[in-house]
Amino acid sequence: MLSYIFRRLAVAIPTLLVLVVFSYLVMYAAPGGPFDTERALPQEVMANLEAKFGLDKPLVVQMANYVWNVVVHFDFGPSYYYKDQTVNDIIAQGFPVTLTYGFWSFVVAVVVGMSLGVCAAVYHNSWLDYLAVGVSIGAQVLPNFVMAPILVLVFTLWLGWLPGGGWQGGQWQYVVMPVIALSTSFMASIARLTRSSMLEVLNANYIRTARAKGLPMRKVILRHALKPALLPVVSYLGPAFVAMITGSVVVDMYFSTGGIGVFFVNSALNRDYSVIMGITILTGALTIFFNLVVDILYAWIDPKIRY
Amino acid sequence: MILSRKKVRDLETADLGNAVDGRSLWADARIRFFKNKAAVAGLVVLVLVALFAAFGSFLAPWSNEEVDWAVLGQVDTMGRPSLASGHYFGTDELGRDVFARTIQGTQISLMVGLIGALIAVVVGTIYGATSGYHGGRIDNVMMRIVDVLLAIPYMFVLILLLVVFGRSVLMLFVGIGLISWLDMARIARGQTLSIKNKEFVEAAHAIGVRPVTIIRRHILPNLLGVVIVYATLLVPSMIIYESFISFLGLGVQEPSTSWGALISDGASQMQYGTLWMLLFPLFFFVITLFAFFFVGDGLRDALDPKDR
Amino acid sequence: MNLKAILSLTTATLVFGTAALAEGTHPVTGEALSDNQTFNYLQLDQFPSVDPQLVEETIGSAIARDLFEGLLIQDADGNLIPGVATSYEASNSNKTYTFTLRPEAKWSNGDPVTAHDFVYAWQRAVNPETASPYGWYMELTSIVNAAEILAGDMDPSELGVKALDDHTLEVQLTKPLPYFPAMTTYATMMPVHQATVEEFGSKWTDPENIVSNGAYVLTDVVLNEYNTREKNPMYWDADNVIIEKTTGHIINDANAGLTRYKAGEIDLTDELPPGQYPNLLAEMPDEAHSVPRLCSYYYTFNFRPDSKPELQDVRVRKALSYAIDRNVIVDQILKGGQWPAYNFAHRATAGFEMPEIDYAGWTQAERDAKAKELMEEAGVEDLEVKLIYNTSESHKAIATIVSQMWKQKLGVETTLENYEWKTYLGIRKDGKFDVARGAWCADYNEASTFLDLLTSNNGNNDGKWSNAEYDDLIEASTTSDNPNEMYTKAEKILADDMALAPIYHYTNAFLLKPDVKGWPYNNAERNWYSKDLYRVAE
Repeated sequence: MLSYIFRRLAVAIPTLLVLVVFSYLVMYAAPGGPFDTERALPQEVMANLEAKFGLDKPLVVQMANYVWNVVVHFDFGPSYYYKDQTVNDIIAQGFPVTLTYGFWSFVVAVVVGMSLGVCAAVYHNSWLDYLAVGVSIGAQVLPNFVMAPILVLVFTLWLGWLPGGGWQGGQWQYVVMPVIALSTSFMASIARLTRSSMLEVLNANYIRTARAKGLPMRKVILRHALKPALLPVVSYLGPAFVAMITGSVVVDMYFSTGGIGVFFVNSALNRDYSVIMGITILTGALTIFFNLVVDILYAWIDPKIRY
Repeated sequence: MILSRKKVRDLETADLGNAVDGRSLWADARIRFFKNKAAVAGLVVLVLVALFAAFGSFLAPWSNEEVDWAVLGQVDTMGRPSLASGHYFGTDELGRDVFARTIQGTQISLMVGLIGALIAVVVGTIYGATSGYHGGRIDNVMMRIVDVLLAIPYMFVLILLLVVFGRSVLMLFVGIGLISWLDMARIARGQTLSIKNKEFVEAAHAIGVRPVTIIRRHILPNLLGVVIVYATLLVPSMIIYESFISFLGLGVQEPSTSWGALISDGASQMQYGTLWMLLFPLFFFVITLFAFFFVGDGLRDALDPKDR
Repeated sequence: MNLKAILSLTTATLVFGTAALAEGTHPVTGEALSDNQTFNYLQLDQFPSVDPQLVEETIGSAIARDLFEGLLIQDADGNLIPGVATSYEASNSNKTYTFTLRPEAKWSNGDPVTAHDFVYAWQRAVNPETASPYGWYMELTSIVNAAEILAGDMDPSELGVKALDDHTLEVQLTKPLPYFPAMTTYATMMPVHQATVEEFGSKWTDPENIVSNGAYVLTDVVLNEYNTREKNPMYWDADNVIIEKTTGHIINDANAGLTRYKAGEIDLTDELPPGQYPNLLAEMPDEAHSVPRLCSYYYTFNFRPDSKPELQDVRVRKALSYAIDRNVIVDQILKGGQWPAYNFAHRATAGFEMPEIDYAGWTQAERDAKAKELMEEAGVEDLEVKLIYNTSESHKAIATIVSQMWKQKLGVETTLENYEWKTYLGIRKDGKFDVARGAWCADYNEASTFLDLLTSNNGNNDGKWSNAEYDDLIEASTTSDNPNEMYTKAEKILADDMALAPIYHYTNAFLLKPDVKGWPYNNAERNWYSKDLYRVAE
């Protein structure tokens, strides 16, 4: 197990390097630079800007400097567009926000999704089952950029219960709508996963035996069926995390939460190289980390899996 | 990939019908599939949507780019869905026929879904089969590469690619296809590992058939079941990806459109009393995805007797 | 400019004002003031910087105008009024300016604002190490040696500005520039606090570090969420500042902005969803406003030698321009009170006399008929053009509609190509288009800001249209006593040669809560100051 973890971590380093080089090359190939504006800047002004941010140096030197600063000083450099901020500032402000609503979305998705899935499986082929399946597929396919404005329309304009946007350090009334918008589709996937694996488990011989012994259904589920049915949900954690960061683009745009998603899109459009790099590397690192955690958890829960 | 790892893992080891056992297994699968009402309904819906995309334009009095000048500027009153005006689904905010645009959007979105899935399936299967068949060091290196690629935040990369290389339908296919072949490669490898040890492969190897031929003649046909199941699950996620890209304004060029672009336009007009712009494309989007899910589940159940 | 008079007026209201404020009424109008003196408005994006010398866009400059005060500032109509300077004198035939600074002006930490602060700030603006994106603005001011310093050929200390004493600033220009004082209102020329900048480096604008001399101080910045500025008690005119706190909320989407306006979370949104202005006006007649905005929207043709030969024929260009029904675009798509445009410079530009353009007076049917005739005359059939525009809802709408107009009226096939901004700039600059969407906004309130764009050597003349007569006219206008006459002539040349197809003149449509007063509706440059706003009691 330990050697497996080490092996995975060893792969992580070249992975991140590949990511750095790849993103750097893509950005280098991108038409337009960070300082292009409607007005064509005079040559001397452009030269001063490029010199200030080191863009006048050869690509290899730039890349080496960048990697050096990141590795040695953990310094992702200044933002080329948000001139009052460094990339470290931006990440330090944006990531906690994204992680906060990402975390709550995950909790909601897991709790609601699993309950829905278990109910649907237990009352297999009843109206409850059909309802749960219908709702969850519906929720899965409704894009969150449709969901978000509907939520605002209902909760802010019609009911007046919740503020239409902002974050305010994560007070609950600002967190509710982002979490709903983000969690719905994951909740639906989890419900479907739970339902199908629960059905599989409920048909297994040991469950039939347990039931035959006369154990009440509730106990059978809690004691015997739930743990194996948990597996798919655990395996879902990694991809879900990545998807939540992606989904944060929509959440940030509609709810002005100030998470990392909107920074990424804007920085790509602004050619803010250092911010793009910073976010890509950090997301890549977290993706690797979460995938690893998931695989370890998986092995821990399911004794059949050996690495 | 939004597909769960569980599904991927199941498919890696699933004992799906293989050609050696003859046609009976496929026939069995077909019978099982057609017994599944939801799956059949899904199939019917898919056929209907495909027909709509292919022939719907014959029913449309307007083209997808023509502007109805009489409607322009007063879309919220004049642009309502109506049989009399020929705008069965109403018009968009520029007086263009939503019916014709939905048809055209359906074509693009289905194409993105199918071609994206096709790219993923072809690349993934060949890669996975090669890796699995050769095994050892080659397998190790090839799978590490997949691990490396899996760690890349793909949606970000896709956004970057579309920004950098300009948007085009081609770029969308390539970008979306590139994202999704990785899981396919892992599935194909897992299956290949088990097929590799079957007698008929060893026999072929023993009489000196070249590896390329073995993979092509013996391994790939046996992967078909898994590939089909996975592909039906891939198509809807491709379509969802495309819609997200369109929402970001990085989708297809005007006057072409897609479900994602139509839904995103419609959603932005939601508060202004022109809900038809959202609801019609959204309806087709939703039923198609529903259908793909049901068909995918049905196929998996039909092809994987273990589950029953 | 009679600054002395304006100044004495201000002082008079000040004395009167202090007494009146205590009663909770406005010092001048006597309206009852609300207890809530906060102002919340929409910012479409996170500001890149509020460092005056680094500011380069509107969101940051609006904040900088509140935080820092330049030599002169603008009133509600865009006229110059005293800022830190109480008066100035031009000598040496407009090549030397001497500003007298008010002694009571203070930084937010209590330090006096002196002429040295301005010298420091302006040297900083041209210093290559600062790398100000607005370095070109300093070149435009023609301060002695500005260009040389920017190019790295001279030391910043050689800039032609010096402090004669703490309260007297002398500026030397390379050429007579009657509008130099007006240029000092922009952020680039605002003072900065040297000790703070030097102590904190690039972090000096953080709320915990910043020292400013304007009516407000920056108190909070949460990236991509909101930023606040609160009343600066050290400001010399603090007694007359009524709004206590201004907050900018970053909302990336116009629809979300409208929702939050309706929910009462913001008091101002100047990004209305395209086409919604009439509905909003009907719904909230007291709150929806549309005022001129000094920007012109146009389609430029490609005049490069290797471009479409058909477009080199003035008849074809005229036909394409005539066939665009601008009223449809303005009244049925944008619906924000914009003006259909047949000339380039915005109609509300100060002093500008609108030229008489022949086709402006025709009916659209006449234009269409003429367009068809011209196309036939030119013998052009099956023309295909590539129209490029940058990603935006309304650019897309206009391009789509225009392509349909061309197709239906002239049989011209149009390929639409839409690029995100930075890519678009490159493609347009490289001339990879037949027709390109463009818009130009005034840098200052004078028609030359528009018309300069089309001179042969202008770096932003992306269509590469070139006309010697036009160039001469514009050149002559800089020293002319009556430049506006020449501008009108220049516009005629543009129209006769159809150098570009003007589409519309911008307005700025916005929603403002009715209890917010003091908004500078008549400031064509949209320069607003929180210190001029106030909320009345309902």
